[in-house]
Amino acid sequence: MLEAINLSKKYGEHKALIGLNLSVAPGEVFCLLGANGAGKTTTINLFMSFIKPTAGYIKVNDLEVNAQPQDTKKHLAYIPENLNLYSNLTGLENLQFFAGLGGEKPDKPSAEQLLQSVGLQSDAIHKRVAQYSKGMRQKVGIAIAKAKQADNLLLDEPTSGLDPQASNDFAQLLRDMGQNNVAILMATHDLFRAKESGTHIGIMKAGRLIHSLNSDEVTLTELEHLYLETMKSVSDVEISY
Amino acid sequence: MLRLVIKKEFLTALRDIRLQVSGGILIILMLTAVFVGRQGQKQIQEERAKAQSVMYDKWLNQGNKHPHSAAHYGQFAFKPKPVLSFLDIGLDNYTGISVFLEAHKQNEILFSAAQDSNGMTRFGEMTAALILQVLLPLLIIFLTFNIFSKEREEGTLKLIHAQGLSMRQLFIGKVWGTYLMVLLIFLPTILLAYLLLDQQSASLDSGVTTKFLWLTSGYTIYFLVFVLLCVLISAFAKNSGFSLLTLLGIWITSCIILPKATSNLADKVYPTPSQFEFKKTIKNKVKKGIDGHNPSDVRLASLKKEVLDEYNVETIEELPVNWSGIAMQAGEEYTDQVYDAEFTKVENIFNLQNRLSEWVGFINPFLAVRHLSMALAGTDFHHHVAFAKAAENYRRGFVKKMNKDMEVNHKPGIAYGDYNVGGEMWSSIKPFNYTLPSTGSILSSQWRSIAALAFWLAGLLMLSFIYAPKISKL
Repeated sequence: MLEAINLSKKYGEHKALIGLNLSVAPGEVFCLLGANGAGKTTTINLFMSFIKPTAGYIKVNDLEVNAQPQDTKKHLAYIPENLNLYSNLTGLENLQFFAGLGGEKPDKPSAEQLLQSVGLQSDAIHKRVAQYSKGMRQKVGIAIAKAKQADNLLLDEPTSGLDPQASNDFAQLLRDMGQNNVAILMATHDLFRAKESGTHIGIMKAGRLIHSLNSDEVTLTELEHLYLETMKSVSDVEISY
Repeated sequence: MLRLVIKKEFLTALRDIRLQVSGGILIILMLTAVFVGRQGQKQIQEERAKAQSVMYDKWLNQGNKHPHSAAHYGQFAFKPKPVLSFLDIGLDNYTGISVFLEAHKQNEILFSAAQDSNGMTRFGEMTAALILQVLLPLLIIFLTFNIFSKEREEGTLKLIHAQGLSMRQLFIGKVWGTYLMVLLIFLPTILLAYLLLDQQSASLDSGVTTKFLWLTSGYTIYFLVFVLLCVLISAFAKNSGFSLLTLLGIWITSCIILPKATSNLADKVYPTPSQFEFKKTIKNKVKKGIDGHNPSDVRLASLKKEVLDEYNVETIEELPVNWSGIAMQAGEEYTDQVYDAEFTKVENIFNLQNRLSEWVGFINPFLAVRHLSMALAGTDFHHHVAFAKAAENYRRGFVKKMNKDMEVNHKPGIAYGDYNVGGEMWSSIKPFNYTLPSTGSILSSQWRSIAALAFWLAGLLMLSFIYAPKISKL
């Protein structure tokens, strides 16, 4: 369960996030849409306690992130936008390292199986990550997140730069994880993937969550229209739930 | 978790081709320096021991002659080449190696390596100390300058943090991972250096193992200090470029600029007299008296009166002992007194200069380890002075014995050429035997350097403890 309560973040005079309220229940996939600088990544960073909020609260499984940052980490898995991993280590070694940090160090056969389960070719598993494409690295990232078996997953633009096939595989994985009662919060630019994978969609602009809707309530065309309208509007934004 | 980070840091460094090459070069250089250095030390020590023995044989076989002629025939003292000098040449190239010991004169210790070499000696030799003090820190810089910034730039820092590892744990893991890599280069080569020591080493310096252990400990602390410093700077640097520039700046300042500046400052604050001034002062004071109001002829007249009174005679000819022997020994003792006073003054100036440099170890760990390393290797100023004093004491001893024999046995009325002594007398003077200062005395003289290294280590550990949790993840 992920919750943001009146969450705000300022960088000097710049308001990156203003009074954000959202919650993602187990099994839900909440996709945050918005242009660059809308506050999507700031939201993810706050949940991950990479930065501290200026005001408000963040809760992960009812634990307050700021009060117990290390404890909440146990319940969180995270996939960043640009997952570079360690180029001198193989995919398997990267998985074993990061999963080990998360407290779930899989043995070699289990780690190999996990990497194959996210679609990494078996011959690539023992190659150094320096030779991987972005899609392959992202798959290792998913395996790392899966290995942690956390009940909350945070993703920051995970599909940017992925080819359509990899992006599709990724969406399927998200659906699978959602079905396993994982609460997923994903920041993305991709309206199509948001509609396809998300159970809930939020549209952010200038640090505010402008719209929050059920993905079943809108078609892709309506979503696109709403998104473009929101981006166009300059002021007097109305927050709708 | 910590083990995982250490293993990862170690593995990634080990697989980095740039580090493989630079680490490999460093190991080759170190092995070469150790092997060549050890061979050189052995050869030089054998030569000096042989020279010492040949000169003593000459002393023994100089034939029958007057004891005062023997005092002028003199002996040589050769400075033993300290066993661990193959690791740190220190001042050895600039200090002399042998001194001619004779009556009336405190000769200079001559024939330094620099004297016999071309100008290249001034650039320093490729010794293990140079590699450990200067080049290995450079490798540490290349290992660590982007240890945090690269992770930050590539986003892995976020992922690590997301996995629940605290910044403090990550910091400790990175420090140990890098440190293990450094020890992987250092420990096998230094162990090999130890295995090169043999029976000759133990006979020359019974404390060699203890000194070696202290030397190794000193370097391991120095490396840990450097690793901590570099990782700390990398952790808070804005980016890899800034981190590299900062660390290279620190390296140049601490290894090149500050040592030179410190030495210049020490010389400015505590100027030393030239060799010419030193000798001139002694000559003047011997001639005019220490206080300037007691010239040699007055001193001689006073001594003469004392001796005549003691034996209750009117003239030298009536004395039952040899007046020349007494007068010469008195002259020796007066010169020794003047020499000791002047030598102590100069020694104190050098000590003040060294102390200043040792204190600077608190702002530059390179100087701290350099002083400690030279001292334990037996190639610092204190060792040179210890040898000079031992040689001078030996000179005084045998000259006194010659004078005493002359005073007692060369009866008045017997012509100089008619009184001779031989082998029995020469062999009563034991060969010059210099024992290197003990580990205890070295460590007590180097307490500032040891304290400086401890200060750096404690300070950086404290800073790491305080600031590691504040490392930015973005």
